Amino acid sequence: MKRRMKKIASLFLGAAITAGLLLGCGSSGKDTQGDSKAEASGSEQAGGAAEGDSAATGEAGSLDTSEHVDLRMYLIGDRTPDFDEVYGKINEILEEKLNCSISVDFLSWGEMDTKYSLLFSSQEQFDLIFTGSWAQYGQVAPKGGFYELTEEFIQTYAPDIWSVVPEVAWDQTRIDGKIYMVPNYQNEFKQDVMAVRGDLMKEYGIEKITNWDELMDFYKACADHGIYASQGGPWYQFFQYQGYSTTSGAPNSGALILYHAQDPADLDFQYILDWDGFSDYCHQMKELADAGCWSPDVLNDSAERQDGFLNGRTAGMIWNMGSCRTFAKQANAENPDWDATLVDPISNQPKAVQPYINNGVAINAVSEHKERAMMALNEFYTNPEIFDLAMLGIEGKHWEAVGEDQYKVIDESGYGVDSNCNWGWTNANIKRTEFIEDRTALDDTYDGLMDQWNNNVREPHVYDGFSFNTDAVSTQFAAVEAALGTYLDPLLNGLVDDVDQSLENLKNALEAAGIRDILEEMNNQAAAYVSEKQ
Amino acid sequence: MRGKSGLKGFLKKLHKYRVYLLMLAPAVIYTLIFAYYPMTGIVMAFKKYNYAGGIWGSPWNGFENFKFFFKSGQAGMVTRNTVLYNIAFILLGTFTQVAVAVFLTEIHGKKFRKISQSMMFLPYFISWVIVGVMAFNIFSSDYGFLNRIITSLGGEKIAFYTTPKAWPFILIFFNIWKGVGYGSVMYLAAIMGIDTSIYEAAEIDGANVFQRITKVTVPMIMPTMIILLLMSVGGIFKGNFDLFYNLVGNNGLLYNYTDVIDTLAMRALISSNDFGMSAAIGLFQSVLCLLTVTIVNKLVSMYDREYALF
Repeated sequence: MKRRMKKIASLFLGAAITAGLLLGCGSSGKDTQGDSKAEASGSEQAGGAAEGDSAATGEAGSLDTSEHVDLRMYLIGDRTPDFDEVYGKINEILEEKLNCSISVDFLSWGEMDTKYSLLFSSQEQFDLIFTGSWAQYGQVAPKGGFYELTEEFIQTYAPDIWSVVPEVAWDQTRIDGKIYMVPNYQNEFKQDVMAVRGDLMKEYGIEKITNWDELMDFYKACADHGIYASQGGPWYQFFQYQGYSTTSGAPNSGALILYHAQDPADLDFQYILDWDGFSDYCHQMKELADAGCWSPDVLNDSAERQDGFLNGRTAGMIWNMGSCRTFAKQANAENPDWDATLVDPISNQPKAVQPYINNGVAINAVSEHKERAMMALNEFYTNPEIFDLAMLGIEGKHWEAVGEDQYKVIDESGYGVDSNCNWGWTNANIKRTEFIEDRTALDDTYDGLMDQWNNNVREPHVYDGFSFNTDAVSTQFAAVEAALGTYLDPLLNGLVDDVDQSLENLKNALEAAGIRDILEEMNNQAAAYVSEKQ
Repeated sequence: MRGKSGLKGFLKKLHKYRVYLLMLAPAVIYTLIFAYYPMTGIVMAFKKYNYAGGIWGSPWNGFENFKFFFKSGQAGMVTRNTVLYNIAFILLGTFTQVAVAVFLTEIHGKKFRKISQSMMFLPYFISWVIVGVMAFNIFSSDYGFLNRIITSLGGEKIAFYTTPKAWPFILIFFNIWKGVGYGSVMYLAAIMGIDTSIYEAAEIDGANVFQRITKVTVPMIMPTMIILLLMSVGGIFKGNFDLFYNLVGNNGLLYNYTDVIDTLAMRALISSNDFGMSAAIGLFQSVLCLLTVTIVNKLVSMYDREYALF
């Protein structure tokens, strides 16, 4: 009896497996069909810029907006309380001009890494999405997630964007010669600064922090006085001080392989483990970590960058200029005696501006309303009314205009300034700046640094717009990323027992993982990129 | 002719057992839809995935997706860690769960038993993220509860987050602490099912409490233990990602003792979003798990056929 039941059960299992296979085959047939369709439309785009063009000229002048369309857009972050009210106003304008409305879904910061690519793998229906070199552009575009924007397409449906965005910005977006996003247009500085407590600097007898040695003195002074200097070792500051920059698309967010950004003539990549400077840095960090310049728990501490600074655990914080200013301001408001100020430990170097592709907007490859989406984006990008709404909120409620190009904040709690993921269409030509009434020393320092930086923009390097495509070496890339985890972060923060031994281990692990293949592929791609540019 | 009578016999049995089969149907359908149908996605492990092609249309690339794991130089270490941790979890976990179940049944005060059972059950409902934060607040060297106690007693601080050797103990402790209440419920049920006359007989024969436990309770719940053991052996190559990721995080210093297959795969693939490689790792684990569970099941059935799963 028992035996028989078992037999029946196994029969069922067999049936189940067969059914599963059949089901699989069935859907496979369907999917390949859809696939060939996608491929066909792909070749249409690729081969047929001319075709698209003729279609466009067919309806030239008056683009057809007779049918009402509801667009969907994905942004990064969280929905602010007044967000829907603001976008209601935006939709009023869009309805009138383009006969369309837009609804926004948010990917929160935490789920962005995991969910962004799932939106494309699940073939979800939406039209526009925020992207950027740090936000999956290099990963999703080569896999066919974004719609290719031909020049004709942009000129037809977003002529204003075409006239605003410079050629160099479009060039940066190109992957294998094709454009997949509309980049933002502004000079954003790439380099971070440090917000420090002025009262402690005075107490420790440190007048200024303008170079690496002064920064190290400050770190050591902090440790001597029993306060942490920052959350971890200043690795980026170190190589930027030497004139290096991260290479977009390289392992470890680009920091494993650097290029000499301050010297446009230098086209060699610097793999950090072949660089004496790196071992030098690691030894210095070991010394600092042992002295107590930061907590031995930094690798596990999930605190935000500003947390330690604001609650008095660290004497400084490192972030971009805008954030440092915001939090220095907050620190001063909460602790008037701190005298928090901004310093630039890399003042020796001319300043790099962010690639324009740092922020941008892309169109979903499976969107059914690509043309209308592009036209709507054109409004966001170049219509001052919509631009102000998206960046500042509702005039009279959240902000008020000061002159033509400035604003004053009325209430930041409901919407917030420039913080609703409106960065994808930032357009420096129509972006308002803040009007400050009662200026403090901090504001002067900020403006001073800003002036200094704007007058000291570094020459472009051909690799600024280069982005490494990891497709050909994806195995090695994944293996390198896996091997890095064990050694790199502890080294960067001086937490290892034996620096030389750890360096040796890291080096061997990366060689075995295939770093040389990556470097070779990278050099080939870079050479092709450079020859294409010239 | 034989086939015909076989078919006839089958139909006859189908009719005879129709009520049982109907009762079985929901479970079979559930398994088909949620376990067998998704299994066809295994093909992803052998494909170079792209969005346009999807699961079925992307090009094949053989065993290419598996390579990164072995190339990383960490494959042996993380596989070893995964298996050793799981063995520790299974053995110590089963032991504590059985022990707790036995103690709970031996406690006579009803109120006390209920309260202590609820208290032990509680950690099961706490998210691993919260457990991670709790661990950080206990072991942190700046504000950690443990280090506060140590320093107030005049001792030297211990930097737990730079001491890899402490972590196997910490991880095992938290895993058992979190699972003991939930796990003991099964054994409690099994113990409740034991015929009380056996205990009475044992008592009359002069058995004391410990003899009652070792000679009656444990042998009687042995089948339950073995079934549960087999079930957990089925996951022996799968690291508990929540546990390891939330407690260890990105701390490379601890990886030699704490890195498991799942956390390594996450680190390797989070920046490149390679679905094919993720699928490959999952398949690698599943195949090893299947092998292990088959072997262990064979061993169990050699010991006693009635205890085996299949």
